[in-house]
Amino acid sequence: MAELNQIDLRALARGDKRTWDAFVVAAAPLINAVVRRTLASYRLSEEDVLDAAQDVFVRLCAQDFRLLKTYDPERAGLPTWLSVVSRSCAIDHLRRRRQATEPIDDVPEAALGVEDRHVEKLKIPDGLLTARQVLILKYLYDEERDVTDIAKLLAVDAQTIRSTHHKALQRLRAHFREDEPPRGG
Amino acid sequence: MTIERTPRNDKELWRSLASQPAVAPAAVAEMDLAAWLEGRLSEEAAAPVEAAVAADPALRRAALDLADILGKPLPAAPERMVVRARALVGFEAGRAAPAGGLFGRWLRGGGLFGGSSHALQQGMMAVAALVVATGGFVVGGGLGESLAQQREGYYSKTETASTTSATTSNEVSEFFAGDGI
Repeated sequence: MAELNQIDLRALARGDKRTWDAFVVAAAPLINAVVRRTLASYRLSEEDVLDAAQDVFVRLCAQDFRLLKTYDPERAGLPTWLSVVSRSCAIDHLRRRRQATEPIDDVPEAALGVEDRHVEKLKIPDGLLTARQVLILKYLYDEERDVTDIAKLLAVDAQTIRSTHHKALQRLRAHFREDEPPRGG
Repeated sequence: MTIERTPRNDKELWRSLASQPAVAPAAVAEMDLAAWLEGRLSEEAAAPVEAAVAADPALRRAALDLADILGKPLPAAPERMVVRARALVGFEAGRAAPAGGLFGRWLRGGGLFGGSSHALQQGMMAVAALVVATGGFVVGGGLGESLAQQREGYYSKTETASTTSATTSNEVSEFFAGDGI
């Protein structure tokens, strides 16, 4: 990652061959890791992974490095931005590949079916929870992630996550007048 | 349609609620998401990004994956990936396996004299072009003319020789005839 931060972005955007080669060497491990992680659950071949990674590089230099020129070093580090771009490209690659190779008849009916059971859920009023509170509750309950993972992602300590979670549930319970569970028998 | 009773457990309570916003949040720009991942956004600027991440399960997983990848040392990429990507810009990648020999070194940029001066390379190219042009002239018009001159000289010499030979022959004949032989 350190090498990536030392790349001369102006020379890179000018299409300087030496800078591009240095950029490729520095960026390839990151792009490789992100593309593999993004496509991991789809059981694609090694060739597909390489093609998806190549798509990232193509997108970066296409149309006279148009995408690369949108990168703003004041807003985020190059590795972080590059990881986001790599993930987008890998998903685009996957979509194109599936559109090209998967006829509708080959998709199991279960995947296309709509569940008949309809459960009316209570809607959380807008503004009751902050975006961060919703995000933390989704990570904890929908994704079943560990508090430490969420704390690392949001660059806060684990106690802050617990506290945010606690306050969010208090507000929900207060709003929906949730009764305390009966104790004892 | 059934309305489930609000459960008691925190997790059940959450799952019984419709947490999706009525209006889907706007798509997040890549630059915004990167800035959010690095914690560089203000609370106000982060709110729409967090709402978008919360609303999209794939984006939620992606955010955790990217944070994990960015926080640890990475294995090297396959060599093929690097070679293919390098070939996208410029044409020097095509010379990755350079031709050997003195001429190959010279073609690659002045390696002949141990330097890489562009001016030297251009000068040598000009000299080479001059040599080729001169050679073409000599082999074409120049040498042809020279050969024609040589051929002409040869014929004139042969003609002279035969004339001389004929004269000498006549004189000898006359000499013998004069002696009555």
